[in-house]
Amino acid sequence: MTRAFRYAVDEALASLWRGRQSGLLSTSTIALALFILGGFLFVTSNLDRLGSEWGSTAEMSVYLNDDVTPEQRKAIEQTFASRAAIVDSEYISKAAAVARFKETFGDLGTAIDTVGGNPLPASYEVRWHSGSGEQVEMDRLGAVLRRTPGVADVRYDREWIGRLLTTVNVVRGIGWVLGSLLTVAAALTVANVVRLSLYARRDELEIMQLVGAPTAYIRGPFVMEGLLQGGIGAIAALVALAIGFLVLRARYLTPLASAVNLSAIRFLPVELSAGLVVGGMLVGCLGGLVAAWHLTDS
Amino acid sequence: MIRGRAPGPMIETHHLSKLYNRGVHALRDLSLKVDKGDFVFLTGPSGAGKSTLLRLLLREELPSEGVLRVGGRELVALTASQVQAYRRTVGFIFQDFRLVPRFTVFQNVAFVMRVLGVAQIVQQRKTFQVLRWVGLQHRMNAYPEELSGGEQQRVAIARALVNEPHLILADEPTGNLDPDLALEIMNLFREINARGTTVLVATHDRELIRHVGRRTIALEHGRLVEVA
Repeated sequence: MTRAFRYAVDEALASLWRGRQSGLLSTSTIALALFILGGFLFVTSNLDRLGSEWGSTAEMSVYLNDDVTPEQRKAIEQTFASRAAIVDSEYISKAAAVARFKETFGDLGTAIDTVGGNPLPASYEVRWHSGSGEQVEMDRLGAVLRRTPGVADVRYDREWIGRLLTTVNVVRGIGWVLGSLLTVAAALTVANVVRLSLYARRDELEIMQLVGAPTAYIRGPFVMEGLLQGGIGAIAALVALAIGFLVLRARYLTPLASAVNLSAIRFLPVELSAGLVVGGMLVGCLGGLVAAWHLTDS
Repeated sequence: MIRGRAPGPMIETHHLSKLYNRGVHALRDLSLKVDKGDFVFLTGPSGAGKSTLLRLLLREELPSEGVLRVGGRELVALTASQVQAYRRTVGFIFQDFRLVPRFTVFQNVAFVMRVLGVAQIVQQRKTFQVLRWVGLQHRMNAYPEELSGGEQQRVAIARALVNEPHLILADEPTGNLDPDLALEIMNLFREINARGTTVLVATHDRELIRHVGRRTIALEHGRLVEVA
């Protein structure tokens, strides 16, 4: 088996070198397909992290009327205390709200002074245990609080996170559909290129079949050729993605991360990168198999 | 390369027929026997069915009817992997040599063992031995296009022999050679046969057959017409 493997690798490398122009075509097709798929995976993996980071710090904001009484506040705090899912709650006074606004928006923060008076309401920021049933519980508490005297409005991030997750799924779906179509096209290109090298070696193949060479020796080089094309294409796609990431990171990605409150925009995780390379090799392997399938119909 | 001559038939056909799609009967009701260790000529005019019989014996095609056994094995019943195993016991030689142009003489012969997974050191030793036997050890680094027709056919014979087959099948092996070279090639076949290998040579060259003087099976229109 080792000899058959070595024979397949030797012959595949020699064949790739001989047919390097057509090989470049199929390798580029695979690289393009995986670059696009990898690009979508890059976007969705960061959107996933965004959802996760937003989710882990999600809070419910309970805005109070300006004329809220101490009794009403006490009743609201008792409502929080009765909920086991709530980790803690913090009262933000109107003055504290203004101070935070100025801190967050820097130079623009002073604009609030021109409005006259303090337009920002006092509020409670409520943090939750994340877990199953959280959304239902939040909806339920939100409904109770909206009916509670002294409460002006209730807002929570879950709706945004839900929308974000829907967007992630749509983007991921588009990525998979587009990636799959391009992958099929890449596999067909590999199959055709491997068929060309098969045609170039038809005299050897005839001899191999007549002397009873094992199937591994007959098909192996073509499958290996496809596999190598796929692997090289996938690595080229990853390198192109990495270069694109490095070029864009300082100028665009870091400010974008900061704007959307994400710790950092990261490159594809190792398992996805490895998955792309393995996927590319499998696609190439499939193309090689398709091309060489009929070779042992003795 | 010396083989024992265990008694029994090497090739056996019973009522063998081959009908092609267009209704052409290449072989009709052919029954014959070639014993182990025999040297037999298969002769007849073009279209007599010689090449068809060789293709059936190589298991490149299947008969339409009848029985075809080689070395006691029913060829029709072989699975794909059994066909591969069977072909490792048969050497083939064609009129047009069918050498790989981009391989040297040495590589053409060693290729057979290479694709059968034989260790490299064994490949080298046996290739050199068989090239010396056919008298081409001095040309082992040459490419086929640099060789004469007779030399190319000797390379093809070396390639057929290197795997130590039980049976050699040759389809018009001297068809592209002048009479002197043809006799030289026939002498090689006689030597191969003297070592115990069964040899079946298809040729329409009656003069060559008369000169070599071996058993002859004559076909015409796919039928057996004479055994001499």
